[in-house]
Amino acid sequence: MTQSQIIALAVALGVCIAVFELVRRRRLSEEYSMLWLVAVVLIGVVGVWTGLLHFITRLMGAMYDTSVVFFFGIMFAFAVLIALCVRITLLTRQARRLAQEVALLRTELDALRGTPERRDP
Amino acid sequence: MSALRVLAIVPAYNEEEALPITLAEIRRVAPWVDVLVVNDHSSDRTAEVAAACGVPVVTLPFNLGVGGALQAGFGYALAHGYDVALQFDADGQHDPAFLDAVVEPARRQAADVVIGSRYVAASAYKAPPLRRAGMILFAAIASRAMGRRITDTTSGLRAYTRPVMRFCQEELPHDFPDAPLLILLHRAGFRIVEVPVEMRERIAGESFYTATRALYYPFKVGLASLVVALRSRRSLPRVREDA
Repeated sequence: MTQSQIIALAVALGVCIAVFELVRRRRLSEEYSMLWLVAVVLIGVVGVWTGLLHFITRLMGAMYDTSVVFFFGIMFAFAVLIALCVRITLLTRQARRLAQEVALLRTELDALRGTPERRDP
Repeated sequence: MSALRVLAIVPAYNEEEALPITLAEIRRVAPWVDVLVVNDHSSDRTAEVAAACGVPVVTLPFNLGVGGALQAGFGYALAHGYDVALQFDADGQHDPAFLDAVVEPARRQAADVVIGSRYVAASAYKAPPLRRAGMILFAAIASRAMGRRITDTTSGLRAYTRPVMRFCQEELPHDFPDAPLLILLHRAGFRIVEVPVEMRERIAGESFYTATRALYYPFKVGLASLVVALRSRRSLPRVREDA
């Protein structure tokens, strides 16, 4: 086994343990952990089985193995970022609606309790 | 004066100075209108000042911007059975004497959204040149997207009927309820009408359209307008009839 293969395996194993630990401590949902576990398996497979990487490089007409690794790495990072932005947009919208609902309920509650002065419509 | 129940929604962010004057003027000039202040998480005494004037106040737990405040106001108007909601600035720019004119097309059922426009008729209102240029640009974009002339997309004096309020509970394009909202409402099949109004100088507070937002605003509104114009009709929420 070459040094680079050992490093790839170590990284894959390390990320794998980290993800499991996060899920175990309820800090990462199973939903997201799946994504990272799949990524880790791919890193491990391509890292150890260099023949596969050479094959993909030829298939893509790429010059170097490294550029193929970087290509997929960056694509993966992009996909994750976009997915997260979509998620944030949804959460923002939900938070807005919740804030409005809470504010309206508070106003109704104050009116029922008769705390602040209020002109009847 | 009117059989319709009309609620003036006053979005207020740090408007403790101008708000009492504005509220008193509405009550004096247009007593047929109920008022709701939506306090957009102000850091000053906006909520206390409004409550002292005897109007209901909805205080948002964090800052949502004009669009979010308006949406909350619509929620209140829907729950309390108002027929028409008015959007009215807290800073004293709007003259309540025009409220009747702004409600009138909705009363005649000739429109679902009424915009009080500074530019339909010759107006004394003078905006700084850059802002004026932006206003003209967005009026042109909105007019083009809607196939009809819209002169004032940034006017904060508007009337909305119940179906529009209900529609806006599901959808509100972004923080500024300007050109994109108008295009969206037009595409959803609502009738939008402009009536001429005069606007004054603000009493206090700062314009929402500050220098820091000067670059961000045109980009965001432009993009939002484009997206709205490209959305298919089917993807728009359906407007249910009044129950």
